[in-house]
Amino acid sequence: MTTPSNIAWLLIVTAAVAAVGAWRRWRLWRAGQPASVDWIGGLLAMPRRYLVDVHEVVAREPASARMHVHVAGGLAAILALLVLIYLLDLQSWWLRLALLVAVLMMWRGLRMLVERRRAPPAHLSRGGFQRLPDVLRLLAIGLGVLAVFLVLGNREVGGIVGLALFATLALGMAELAVATWGGPLKHAFAGALHLAFHPRPERFSGEKRSTALKPLDLAAARLGAERPIDFKWNQLLGFDACVQCGRCEQMCPAYAAGQPLNPKKLIQDLVLGFSMTGDDRRYTGSPHPGQAPGDRRGAPTAPIVPELVAPETLWACTTCRACVYECPMMIEHVDAILDMRRHLTLAQGATPAKAVNVLEELRQTDNSGGQDPKARIDWAVDQRLRLMRDVRQADVLLWLGDGAFDRRVQRTLRALFKLLRAAGVDFAVLGEEELDCGDLARRLGDEAAFQSLARRNLAILGRYRFNIIVTADPHAYHSLKNEYPALGGHFRVMHHTGYLAGLQRQGRLKIAASTDARPVSYHDPCYLGRYNGEVAAPRALLGALGVPLKEMARSGLRSRCCGGGGGAAITDVPGKLRIPDMRMEDARAAGAEIVAVACPQCTVMLEGVIGPRPEVRDVAELLAEAVVE
Amino acid sequence: MRAPRPARLRRDPRGERVLQPRPDGRVRVLRGEAATAAGSPIVAGVTAATAPAVPVRTIEQPAYLVLVVPDAIDGRLSAQDRDLIGLGRAMADADGGAVCVATFTAPLEDLGTAGADRLVDLASAGDAPERRAAMLQACVAREHPRHVLFPESDWGGGDLGRRLAALSGSPIATSAWRADLATAARRAGGGTREVSMATPLILVVEPDVGEAVTGERYEARIVDAPGAPDLAPRVVDRGLRPYDPQSVALEEAEFILAAGNGVSDWAAFHALASALGASEGGSRVVVDAGALPRHRQVGATGAITTARCYVALGISGAPQHLQGVSACEHVIAVNVDPNCDMMKRATLAVIADAQAVMHALLVLCRDKGG
Amino acid sequence: MDEAAGLQVVTLVSVGRHPVTGRARRAPLDARAVELGLRIPGARQVLLHAGDPGAEALREYLGMGVETMHVVRCGPRDDVLPALRAPLRTLRPSLILTGMRAEGAEDSGMVPYLIAQSLGWPIVAQVADVAIGRDGKATVVQALPRGRRREFEVTLPCVLAAGMGAPAPRPSAYARAWRGRMAEASVAPVADARCEGWQESLARPRGKRLRAPRGGSAAARQRAATVVVASGGAVLQPGSPQEAARAILEYLRRAGVR
Repeated sequence: MTTPSNIAWLLIVTAAVAAVGAWRRWRLWRAGQPASVDWIGGLLAMPRRYLVDVHEVVAREPASARMHVHVAGGLAAILALLVLIYLLDLQSWWLRLALLVAVLMMWRGLRMLVERRRAPPAHLSRGGFQRLPDVLRLLAIGLGVLAVFLVLGNREVGGIVGLALFATLALGMAELAVATWGGPLKHAFAGALHLAFHPRPERFSGEKRSTALKPLDLAAARLGAERPIDFKWNQLLGFDACVQCGRCEQMCPAYAAGQPLNPKKLIQDLVLGFSMTGDDRRYTGSPHPGQAPGDRRGAPTAPIVPELVAPETLWACTTCRACVYECPMMIEHVDAILDMRRHLTLAQGATPAKAVNVLEELRQTDNSGGQDPKARIDWAVDQRLRLMRDVRQADVLLWLGDGAFDRRVQRTLRALFKLLRAAGVDFAVLGEEELDCGDLARRLGDEAAFQSLARRNLAILGRYRFNIIVTADPHAYHSLKNEYPALGGHFRVMHHTGYLAGLQRQGRLKIAASTDARPVSYHDPCYLGRYNGEVAAPRALLGALGVPLKEMARSGLRSRCCGGGGGAAITDVPGKLRIPDMRMEDARAAGAEIVAVACPQCTVMLEGVIGPRPEVRDVAELLAEAVVE
Repeated sequence: MRAPRPARLRRDPRGERVLQPRPDGRVRVLRGEAATAAGSPIVAGVTAATAPAVPVRTIEQPAYLVLVVPDAIDGRLSAQDRDLIGLGRAMADADGGAVCVATFTAPLEDLGTAGADRLVDLASAGDAPERRAAMLQACVAREHPRHVLFPESDWGGGDLGRRLAALSGSPIATSAWRADLATAARRAGGGTREVSMATPLILVVEPDVGEAVTGERYEARIVDAPGAPDLAPRVVDRGLRPYDPQSVALEEAEFILAAGNGVSDWAAFHALASALGASEGGSRVVVDAGALPRHRQVGATGAITTARCYVALGISGAPQHLQGVSACEHVIAVNVDPNCDMMKRATLAVIADAQAVMHALLVLCRDKGG
Repeated sequence: MDEAAGLQVVTLVSVGRHPVTGRARRAPLDARAVELGLRIPGARQVLLHAGDPGAEALREYLGMGVETMHVVRCGPRDDVLPALRAPLRTLRPSLILTGMRAEGAEDSGMVPYLIAQSLGWPIVAQVADVAIGRDGKATVVQALPRGRRREFEVTLPCVLAAGMGAPAPRPSAYARAWRGRMAEASVAPVADARCEGWQESLARPRGKRLRAPRGGSAAARQRAATVVVASGGAVLQPGSPQEAARAILEYLRRAGVR
């Protein structure tokens, strides 16, 4: 019964069923909005993106990388060999041996998969994913038997054994056939195409980082994503690539705090939304905290909020990008959340109440606190800061940020002035001409306010000559460096830690060893670390101080958010814990008595933790105490 | 048509006691005149009513009348009402006039000591603002006052003054912040421009303008009121809605009982709030801990309150929290730490365990029958 | 739900100013009036403004979800009443909503009253809530200070002036603001006779008044005026919780909340 022609037919039928499913899926994605895509280049780049970029992420969990290499590599090799042996009818004995080796390789990976699935942790989804190891093992057994027969020279297996063998093979191949219909192997198929047509292809080249939000055309008929099909088609494809591994869920600070956001569930909600009409009862992973399965309903052309996704789910996000950084399928969760926020804010005005006040103040006073813009540097009158308006040019334009209105942040800025002066830096500030950089407005979905602030800032910056912009605010740093270019502003921008580290390296900034022996943990701001890859400079500066540095369990590019990004401190979605409290607990666990920070937002959030707790000091403040003038 | 009560001469022996801190942290009790001089806003009102009788000033033939229409909520004059009558007094005394105070509810205090020469009782107008305005119009038509003064307030004074102006087509200056017989000044353009004009018939006067009369006594002679207007009000008053301290937004609440870290017995806290009739509030800590809902949080990230009285139980007073109580008139803080910021902000700081005081208060409230 | 179906609501709005920067924006009280209107189910909403049709801040009201605004061109010293009268005649509203006090011009808070007077309609001030009944009557809740609420029944048509007790205005959405329609109308300007003889100047900040202590002997007054009480409050170290409780209740009684 197991004859070469039967197996050839089995392969053809499997491919045909899969092709029909793929065509249906393709149509679902293409219902999304048009996107400019490099079709050929993307497809050509896909293998490299898969083998290098995806592997880099998967390998952060070595066991799972080993498992994946064996199963996926084995399966890919098996399929290729089957095509060669049965469809192209190549009779080489070496091919048959190769098939046996590939099967053994897959088997090895499957044993790891079975182990992983025996008592799956909470972040793994169940359902079809629980069936997968068994079906694949069945397939592997069938293929193994087939390969052994082939190696021994038997191309046909008859009788009851042949029948059983064919049935086993057919059952296993069926799992492959339904991958495109939504089976657990869907991620392999959608993921490959997602890598080819990724909405941010630039993240696979150059700096391997693409974190700037893309400008929104404010004259468009629809602003942001109201319905699932309002996403770009390749975003929908990206959602479909999700393998529900739950790494985002493990790292999401909002999820850990019990706020109603699970990034994995959000992506699955969106998959449900664009691919079918119904509720989320078939989802088998962890829900958004506080929500029950079956609560969420959607359809491709139905509004996403509030039926499919609750507004609190979207406003709980701190835009820390931990989910994006961890996602092995390279899905862009934060972009999706921002698209939906943009719709809520711009089209519906459905921003949470406290955030509305902030947005209105931003429009009316160009700063989030509604302070008198003329008073932006009143507090620094003793510093005799040079104003760009007076000097017209300077080596460094020091961008103060809205923290200039905050007493605590003013301490950091004073320390920074002291350091720059000690290093003999020629710097000047914009003073009352400086406006909020627009980061907060943009993250709250108010693209109009962002663009207005950015354009006016650009007009002001255009009046003066300077070599570099330095700022102590990673949010302003990110906006000026990465998001202003799309609006025509190209500047050299540095965060104060990077700039100071450079001064220190050049010997312009002399730091004496600190006399304070208390252990220090450095908290990486998301917008400095994950958004801009700068994790070394602040540590180099702390190293120059000679303080005992104790890294928290999550640090560097995998640092945990302080809870203050993306307007989350303002929208203040209730949860079980507060994110800054959890972060402070991380610092305590590391044995820190000082938490060194490099962001005004982090300073304010972490200082808001009720004591007794480690002291919160900006890196600049620690340096200013030890600088040799 | 009830005559105003004479000044209450009965003295409450403890009514004029003021607690004043001493450098050693103990409290000094001031009584009588010393207490008055200490300027406690609480004793100020009491003193006015219990001051020893002074000779009554009478004006038999005034050259003109200044009609003053205070809010007199529940028959009591507010500080703004007193200042307004004081302004009327100044405008009357400038040129031989007299002050006539119009009331719509029987006053519970002596308007003579507030500065009234005449008193006209318009209670027959009822509660409807339309009828009150019509009654005032009749009153103005009969008495020809030189000016009519209303308080610029949300209690109804601002409404009534504007109604009268619209009804009678009379010139009016609203939000007046300076006025004498010749000129009045008001703000316009969102407070950016100052407009001055010849003092119109009707003035709706801001708070803190004019000085309340103290230490004098006027006749408060009752004059006849015009007949009730023959007007069926198109706006029918259905009365006050029952006041539920828990449903009022904290920003508006008059009396707030707030809990901080020092409170652990939440059943007792809720019972006390309901026994006192206070709105519940809390610090960020207790709200984060889930002991109170988010909308009960007082402070910069929660509600900015304007309560007349704020009781802080076991709240140490983070700067953000203090921002939320900066507008409160009376702040009582109960805390074991006398040096915390909340205690420094308090008008009465009680060094004690909040939990124990809470229970004692509850017992006391129950003894008094709620 | 459909008691108010077809009810024509006209909301009068003005251009407000931000208290710190003075930039044009929707006036907070007028925005609350618009919010009140939007909460009347089934009612037809139109906004009406007398002033400069080019004022972009007006679009913030449209952004709340009203589709049309009529703007009557009107100079800063023109009388808005005749300017508003013509469109009100054509729009024939059964309900006119407005904020307690328009911003930007005289800020006198008289316009709602003068309009009510000229139309012969009743007016309720400081409105916090309104519900339209089947019988053409409106149940109106008025906000008084300290959380007190008074209820009125008003026969339509009427003028309702929204106060700070009215629900907070919904945010203005960018897309709706720019999609909304501004219809410009012009009437012959009439100078505001009420302003004649007024003198204007730039306002200077007005100091907060300190109350000088009164009563008592001269010595006591002088002492009260000069002795600074540290931290401004009394400190009490009670012997027992009961004593503390009695002192607090006594204080509350005299503060007038008990």
